[in-house]
Formats: sequence, C-alpha cells, structure tokens
Amino acid sequence: MTQTLLSIKGLSKRFDLRAGAFGQTAITVHALDDFTADIRAGETLSLVGESGCGKSTTGFCLLNLHRPSGGSVIYDGQDIAGLDEDAMRPFRRDLQIVFQDPYSTLNPRMTIGEALSEPILFHKLATKAELPARLAQLLADVGLTPAFARRYPHELSGGQRQRVAIARALACQPRFIVCDEAISALDVSVQAQILNLLLDLQDKYGLTYLFIAHDLAVVRHISDRVGVMYLGRLAELAPARDLFARPLHPYTRALLSAVPEPDPRAARSRQRLEGEVPSPLNPPQGCRFHTRCPLARDPCKTKVPAWREVAPDHRVACHAVTGKDQTNWETP
Amino acid sequence: MEQPTNLWRDAWKRLRRNKLALAGLAVVAFLVFVAAFGPWLAPHDYLSQNLDLRSVPPQAAHWFGTDDLGRDVLSRLIYGARTAFLVAVAVTLIAVGIGVILGAIAGFYGGTFDRFVMWFTDMTMSVPQLLLVVVINASLKQPISTWMETQYLASLNPIWRNTMLADFVLVFGSMALISWPPYARLVRAQVLSIRSRPYVTAARALGLTNRIILARYVLPNAMGPLVVAVSAGLGTAMVLESAFSFLGVGVTPPTPSWGNMISDGLRVWTNSPHLLVAPAAVLAVVTVAFNFLGDGLNDALNPKGQK
Ligand SMILES: Nc1ncnc2c1ncn2[C@@H]1O[C@H](COP(=O)(O)OP(=O)(O)OP(=O)(O)O)[C@@H](O)[C@H]1O
Ligand code: SF4
Ligand SMILES: [Mg+2]
Repeated sequence: MTQTLLSIKGLSKRFDLRAGAFGQTAITVHALDDFTADIRAGETLSLVGESGCGKSTTGFCLLNLHRPSGGSVIYDGQDIAGLDEDAMRPFRRDLQIVFQDPYSTLNPRMTIGEALSEPILFHKLATKAELPARLAQLLADVGLTPAFARRYPHELSGGQRQRVAIARALACQPRFIVCDEAISALDVSVQAQILNLLLDLQDKYGLTYLFIAHDLAVVRHISDRVGVMYLGRLAELAPARDLFARPLHPYTRALLSAVPEPDPRAARSRQRLEGEVPSPLNPPQGCRFHTRCPLARDPCKTKVPAWREVAPDHRVACHAVTGKDQTNWETP
Repeated sequence: MEQPTNLWRDAWKRLRRNKLALAGLAVVAFLVFVAAFGPWLAPHDYLSQNLDLRSVPPQAAHWFGTDDLGRDVLSRLIYGARTAFLVAVAVTLIAVGIGVILGAIAGFYGGTFDRFVMWFTDMTMSVPQLLLVVVINASLKQPISTWMETQYLASLNPIWRNTMLADFVLVFGSMALISWPPYARLVRAQVLSIRSRPYVTAARALGLTNRIILARYVLPNAMGPLVVAVSAGLGTAMVLESAFSFLGVGVTPPTPSWGNMISDGLRVWTNSPHLLVAPAAVLAVVTVAFNFLGDGLNDALNPKGQK
C-alpha cells in the first residue's frame, strides 16, 4: 500500500460575508463541508463537479491560501490547517499550486527569469552563482529555451505562460502540486501538450497531484482516483476505473451520463438532472443532492448521509447505496 | 491591459494622437525648462528695483513691463515659475509618499488600520482646505520665525536667517497635509483589487513574506492610475500655491509667486492692467495645460474608458 502524503479530515470552509446597503445582513457561503480523504504519495487524485461546488476551495484550504473554518490536514505528522503564514512557510516549498488563468498567474512587471528566481533565492535553493544554470534547467523541464528568462509574460502565449507557472511551482522542488483547472483555459490543441508535460514531470520528480478539472474525459485518462463533489461535499471517491465503470452515487451517474460514451453498447440510460444547483448560501438540509436526486426519499431530507467505504477503496455518501456494488432502492 | 512595456508604449502612441494633450505636454515641458534655467533666462534680477521705471507698460527692455516698484515683470514671472514648480513638486512628492504608504498598508492588510486610515482620510477631506491652511499658517508662522531667530542667535548660522526656507516648509507642509487623501484612496482601491489577483496568491503560495509581496507584486502593478493622478495633482498644487499666495497665506513677498503677483496687480489694475493680465494669463495657460495633459494621460492609460 502506498504512503499517505496528506491526510484530510473534516475540512470545511465557510465564507462569512455582509450584504445589504449597510452590511447589516450576515450571510454565510458554505463552500466546503466535511471533506475527508487521504492523498497518497505519487498519485493523481482528481476532483470533479459543477462550477461552484468547492473544488478550488478545497485546493486553497489544503494549502492554507484560504484559512479553513474547520478540520485538519496532516502533512509530515503535523496539522497544517490554519497555520499562520510564518508557521506555514516551511511547508509552502513542498506544497505548490498551478492556477487556471494563464493570463493573470504571472506578475506582469517581472520577467520570467525574475519570477522563477524569486522562490529559488527566497528559499535559498541555489546560490546566485548557480542561479542561471538552475533557471535553464527549470525552463528546459517545461520545454522552454533559456532565452525565455528575459521575456515578459505578455510576450508569451497562454500555453507558454502556463509552462512558466508550472516551472515556478517546480522551482520550489515540491512534493505536491494542486493543479486548479490548470489546462481548462487553454486552447484545446495546447491542453494535451500541457497535460503530457504535467504527467512527464510527475514521473521525473515523483510528484503527487490534486488535479481539479471539469472535463471528465481528461480525468478518466490521467487519474489514479477521482472524487466527485456536489455543493461543497464529496459525493463519491474511488479509483478512476471503478468510478467510471460502476458509479454508485446518483449524482455521479447523472454526471457520467452527460458524457458522450465512446462505446454505444455501454451507453447508460440517460439521466438528465432536473432543476438548478441550490445556492451554497442556503444549502438543503440532509443530503444536499435531495432536491434533484431521482432516488430521494424521506431520510434524505433530514439525515446527512455518512461518508462510508462501501467497496474496497470506494467511498460514497448516499443513503441509497447499501450494497457493495450497486445503488439500492432503485426499483422500490 | 496590464502589460508593462506595451502599456507605456501604447499609451504614448495614443497620447501622440491627442492634440490637446500634446499642447499641454509642450506647455508643461516649457514650464519645466523655464523653472530649471530661470536664473539664466531672466533678463533682470527679480528683486532689483528701478525707481525711474515704475509701472511702465511692456516695452523692448521689459517685455512685460515693470511693477510699481520698478521690478521687471518677466523676470518675476520666471522666478514665479520656479516657486510654483518647486512647491508643486515638493507638495506632490510628500502627498504621494503619505498616500502610497497609508493606502498600500490599509488596502493590503485591511482590518482596524484600514478603518482608521479611511476615517482619517474622510476627516481630512471634509475639512475645508483653505481653512486648514489658513489656520496652520496663522498659528505656526510666528512661532516658527521666533524659533528660527533663537536658533540663529545661538548658532549664528545664516541658514536660520533664511525666511524663504521657513516659508516654503510651512507652505509645503500645510499643502501636503491637505493633498494626500486622494492619493491614499486611489492606492488603497488599486491594492484592494490587485491583492486578489492570482499572481499575488501565487506569491503567497511560494511562501514569500507580505512585505516582499506588497513591494514587488502589488505596488508595481498599482502605479498606472497614480501617474495620471500625479500629473493632475502637480497642476492642482500649482494653482493651490497661487491661490494661497493670492490670499496672503502662501509664499511671502518679495519671493515672487504668480499668486502674490496677481494679488498685487489687482490693486493697481486700472492704471497698470499688464500687472494683472501677465501673471493671470500665465496661471490660466498652465492650469489648462495640466488639465489637458492629465485628461490625455488618463485616456491613454485607460483605453477602455474611451469607448
Ligand atoms: N473568496 C470568496 N468569498 C466568498 N465566497 C466564495 C469565495 N471563494 C469562493 N466562494 C464561493 O464558494 C463556493 C465554491 O467556490 P469554488 O471556487 O471552490 O468552486 P469551484 O468548484 O472551484 O468552481 P469553478 O469550477 O467555477 O472554479 C462558490 O459558491 C463560490 O461562490
Ligand atoms: S442520499 Fe438520498 S438524496 Fe442523497 S444522493 Fe442518496 S438517494 Fe439521493
Ligand atoms: Mg475553481
């Protein structure tokens, strides 16, 4: 069994906002609720779900870029959730992130060389004398020539910028990288290149990825395990094969049935989701999916379904899933 | 949109197409030149009185005539440009310094300090400017000159006899004290919008300290609108200096200032209209020039605002 790199328990995030002309109304966004999962060394764990379901929030809370409202993240035997900046600093080197938008992820006033030197010199990962060689190596790692060091971000294409953003994360010599929709904003032709680059780097440096995406086809090919989120909660988490072959949660099934199926024989009965995603300002009681779930029954409206391992390494939060491999009460 | 070399190059391209802004730029450049080389350009000593030639209208030896003490008006205008420019630059530097420091820290860290700074800004802006300057001048002018006199008697260093210095310090100080709030607000708003950009979050994720992030990631990206504000602010400060000198709470005669020249000219304008018209025209042209340049810069740096 592989080692656990990050052990996440009950991670939650509420954003407390003020609304109204005088900020008199306090409102709370329940962005992430009770997220529990282990991330294993060397794996690619993907997170999928509709926009606003809390995928980015999960990544940000893991890295303490958002201060979690609750829960723990154990890394290297220490709970890093909610550490202040100074205490967090030594861990920042190991835990990195690549963002979605290649156009705003680099400081427009810094050359690529400056952007990459910053973490190297700050964390004393190379001396001034070693720096040029280190920069060239980093740029080569992401498929760019050393000449790029003198360029500014606006002189680069989206794909090139994302390569630089990856190089910047690598500059810290991390063990873990959150890829927050790192390829979603790129041209389709470039997406595959960047994806391959990420996979090569994973092999080369033994990296662990939390890969946040909304393209299920991509996720299917690159992930060891896949987590499906709905409205701030994990609905299902399983090895990629299992999840795509035998989805258990009704929401996962609905998501997958929306994906074009390459093999017509395997085509599942189409399940269209009715209605809108409820607001995270006021999420439904009980199971958050009950307002749209074709299988919902009375207990779903009041009782939060437990996060259970229903088959080896296959976890689901649904009252209707009782057996090993299937969803019960499907035909009552 | 946010691209360093392109930003300035594109802005210059747009500015070059704007005739009014170019005219403004030319006037401002000329003003800088005159202020810098005043002593070499002025045909006469601005203080020397020629009592045989009092209040003469414009003529070959005195292009703008002389005033009621027989001093050359052109030379006084040139030295007035030095005063205006010196005051404007010093006041703007101090005001921008205060504004950038307060606005950046308030916007970046938020919290109690932010609320305090915003309250302080509102307070300062709600006090009538003129009143504040008059009060500061009226209450400090005498004590400062007394203090300087005692310093002089103690040290016999002639610098303490230089009343112009005290004058400038007082004018700079009181004007800077009323001029910083708009800069603080502008910088705070910029910092607020920039601190949530992904490249700032990325800098945090790299483990960089807040100080590095503020200095190298946030502030350099907040400077564009500040350039516009500073160019407009320089013009405003010049007008303000003239206004205060006109009202007798600015630079004290005999140091020439367009403001006190206008004020002097006003008393004798029926007999010697040139003494009012010359400084007033100069002030008007300079004010309009700064406005054109400021508008032009604004349009050039915010091309989206034009649509
Ligand atoms: N800084 C914030 N302040 C207030 N609410 C926030 C903040 N960040 C996120 N949210 C809210 O939290 C919820 C989860 O957002 P999150 O960005 O994690 O979703 P996501 O799954 O990454 O979506 P997307 O696919 O659009 O990136 C959303 O409802 C969002 O509006
Ligand atoms: S718990 Fe109930 S509502 Fe929720 S997914 Fe399962 S069946 Fe549907
Ligand atoms: Mg997101």
